[in-house]
Amino acid sequence: MNTTIRSEETATFDPAGEEARVLERCDQLVENALKNGADEAEAYGTRAETIAVRFEKGDLKLTQVDDGATTGLRVFRGKKLGFASTNQGDSDSLVATARDALALSASAPPHVANVLPTPRGREKRAPLAQVSIHALSVDQIVDMGADMMSRVRARDPRISIDNASCEVTRVSHAIRTSGGVRASESDAQLSFSVFGMAIDGEDVGGFHYGGDAVRHVRDAEAALRELIDEFTSVSVGNLGAARAETYKGPVLFSPDALLELFISPIVSGASAVAVQRGRSALAKKLNEAIAFSGLDIVDDPTDIELAGAGSFDREGQPTTRMALVERGVLKSFLYNGYAAAVEGRTSTGHASGGPRSVPGLGTHAIVVGGGVGGTRAQMERALDRGLFVQRFSGSVDPASGDFSGVAKSARWIENGVVVRPVKETLLSGNAFELLQRIVALGSHPERCSGSSRAPYALVDGVSVTAG
Amino acid sequence: MIRTHTAVHSDPTDLLAEVLAKNAGGFVELRYHKKKTRAVVVEKGRVDTAQVTEHSGVGVRVLEDGTWGFASTDRVEALYIERAIRNARAAAKASARARSERCAPLPRVELARGRFESSGVDELLARPIEGTIDLVMRIESETRARSATIQSASCAYSEVYEEKGIVTSDGAKAWTRLIRPEFRVSAVASKSGEIQRGYESSGATGGWECLFRAASAEQLSERAAQRAVDLLSAPYCDGGRAKVILSPALVGLLTHEAIGHTVEADFVAAGSVAAGKLGQRVGSELVTLCDSGASEYADGAGGTLRVDDEGVLAGRTTIIENGILRSYLHDRESAARDGVAPTGNARAFEFDNEPLIRMRNTYIAPGDSDLEEMIASIEDGYVLEGAANGQADSNGEFMFGTREAYRIQNGKKGALLRGVNISGSAFDVLRSVDRVGREFQWDLGSGHCGKGQPAKVDAGGPWISCEVVLGGRS
Repeated sequence: MNTTIRSEETATFDPAGEEARVLERCDQLVENALKNGADEAEAYGTRAETIAVRFEKGDLKLTQVDDGATTGLRVFRGKKLGFASTNQGDSDSLVATARDALALSASAPPHVANVLPTPRGREKRAPLAQVSIHALSVDQIVDMGADMMSRVRARDPRISIDNASCEVTRVSHAIRTSGGVRASESDAQLSFSVFGMAIDGEDVGGFHYGGDAVRHVRDAEAALRELIDEFTSVSVGNLGAARAETYKGPVLFSPDALLELFISPIVSGASAVAVQRGRSALAKKLNEAIAFSGLDIVDDPTDIELAGAGSFDREGQPTTRMALVERGVLKSFLYNGYAAAVEGRTSTGHASGGPRSVPGLGTHAIVVGGGVGGTRAQMERALDRGLFVQRFSGSVDPASGDFSGVAKSARWIENGVVVRPVKETLLSGNAFELLQRIVALGSHPERCSGSSRAPYALVDGVSVTAG
Repeated sequence: MIRTHTAVHSDPTDLLAEVLAKNAGGFVELRYHKKKTRAVVVEKGRVDTAQVTEHSGVGVRVLEDGTWGFASTDRVEALYIERAIRNARAAAKASARARSERCAPLPRVELARGRFESSGVDELLARPIEGTIDLVMRIESETRARSATIQSASCAYSEVYEEKGIVTSDGAKAWTRLIRPEFRVSAVASKSGEIQRGYESSGATGGWECLFRAASAEQLSERAAQRAVDLLSAPYCDGGRAKVILSPALVGLLTHEAIGHTVEADFVAAGSVAAGKLGQRVGSELVTLCDSGASEYADGAGGTLRVDDEGVLAGRTTIIENGILRSYLHDRESAARDGVAPTGNARAFEFDNEPLIRMRNTYIAPGDSDLEEMIASIEDGYVLEGAANGQADSNGEFMFGTREAYRIQNGKKGALLRGVNISGSAFDVLRSVDRVGREFQWDLGSGHCGKGQPAKVDAGGPWISCEVVLGGRS
């Protein structure tokens, strides 16, 4: 039930109290479902409070304060699935939600793997966020946002900000299952984003986006400074873009572009569900070399500098640091409760999603490492001549690995240094083939949008088409 | 039978009007929004999702001291709505000191009053989910069985029922209901270590027959399976600038991604490539491009709505007329700033989202060419079909993915090639349009447009021939 709207007059977000209230709703749903015929039931809920300041065309557009709670119920009856969710907290709505989930379970066919995972203990971890962030007020968020905007504008008058935001989100989530899981956790993140371009007379540079999120107020200044530096230098650097060259050969990728083009197909292919259903190119590659021998990929939910950190997954299973790829060799697949039940093994704690849908499967906080290629400047020198891609806008087919799209905020490198921005440059290739053709990985993984870490990568054999 | 979409809160506009009258002062907009979805997803014989979800509440937007404030509540009761009004006002006051340019009071415009019902609502709400689960199960199974090379298939149905009540302090009092069903089929084929995917979908604003107006569920299954199998042996396109014929789905992507976003007034104000170009030639005289809240030329367009989320009637806007840029897309604030009428493009995803300027159904109007004569007129080029993803940039540069391509040589259409991403500069591509077909189709009714919030849109048009850059493998 949404009884309050936060404003500067209201009290600090109370994580323990909110967790108890979410758990209470979960308890009601599970008990109602069991009473009315469910064999197993799982309720997962969240309660979030947000203060957001949004800017448009360089000026403050709107300040938004709201909160809300949503709870989702998954039931199994005779191995048949049903799911329903609601953001209403009154008893009638919760009863109706349980009735919907049970009714759906009467219509769906059974499946042997429709069972809830067995509860497992989880280690005690420190709170994700500090009290200081739970107490931020509307006035403070407005001030932080205004400060960000004035600092971006002060860097270069050619910068035009299409939209930007400063936002604090405080969330408590909890899970209760009929099998004995009863867990809760709270988090809070302060996030910044800016989206815009540089304009110099008739020359309109390409869009650029910068974003970051932190869990401690003390980290905000450093994150903001880095974001503003990167956003302004790339946006202004996009001015004066000229045609690139058409070639097939080495291309330097930024950490963001590396994640989008080459790491995301590995993560998709490592899904045990994708493997079981014949849509993973990695299906028979466990313990085989799938990439450059210097590549490590780890999913690390214990890294609290990354947004996806947390102690349990969407099914209440404990999360742990897990290597996906070590020295180029595929080391493990990702399992949620369903995929684990199909193979008669335990979940790896990779159930994902929110309360408005059944649990999915995904990673928490990807960290790419293992490189010894040095700094960005050293990687540019290693390329010597060719394209440097800072962002990729296009499609990557997770099953085949085929990709095709546009290099954004791209630069042309001659004699190991950036000489000009380029435009209308298309990239294509196959990610799984090109993973074997990584020539060098940088030694300094960078945080990407607060959610992952990755280094620069030099990859050979990429098709580059100049427009 | 599963509980259908019964109205938990029947039309609450009287309640909203009473609350608003008690809390008068400045501009206040109250928007009740209930969204209820039913979804079924089946992959390789297992029901992965069978769900009903509900998300409802009231969003409150106020304009105080020339600044917007927004708050929301999930309780549709006077006490909570009043509290949300107070908090929206407090938010506006807190932010006013950081806003350099005050938003002028909104000028009076004609606002919607009354009930606005879209077709298909009652029919789909009464349709039991059990039959839909059976259909999705059967189509997934049939898709898998269509070829020995198909390893996996999935099929999904979803419907989103929305009811909204919009009341503003300057006269809007509208109640709207609509429903948007979607159907998707996907097949994954594999041979000699190669994996390819075929995908078909349909989306509509309307009922069951409207959803399957262009192709039946079985036809969608057959096409998805056939494409997955055929792509296994299809070669890649060459890269470079090329003459192409774009299918209605790709014309839709072009109008939405490459043109539509650049003419949204908020992007224009930030300096998009369309800024300052009203009255100028931006395309071939064959090009007339519109955005409409109605489903023009053919029924069921996925972005259809009769009233936007500011209570403005959602009419048709001619953006480009015979190649000349005529209008941008506006909400009430941007329209007031530019001294024009709002175009009914303010849309919010859910009750706790603020309205943003978004497209609805965007299209190029049909011309008078036949597809066959368009192909025959091209010596060396491609026919491109099937829309994948797409994005546009501030400088007008766009990119979007195609699912399949066919080489044209000496006026003849050749064999299937793998899909390719295409790129270009939006207005350059429109200037290169030299033929516009007469057949019209809406073809982007499934999926969403992302711009901070998802929005259901549609786009389409006839076949057109133009020049773009292909991201091939050579």
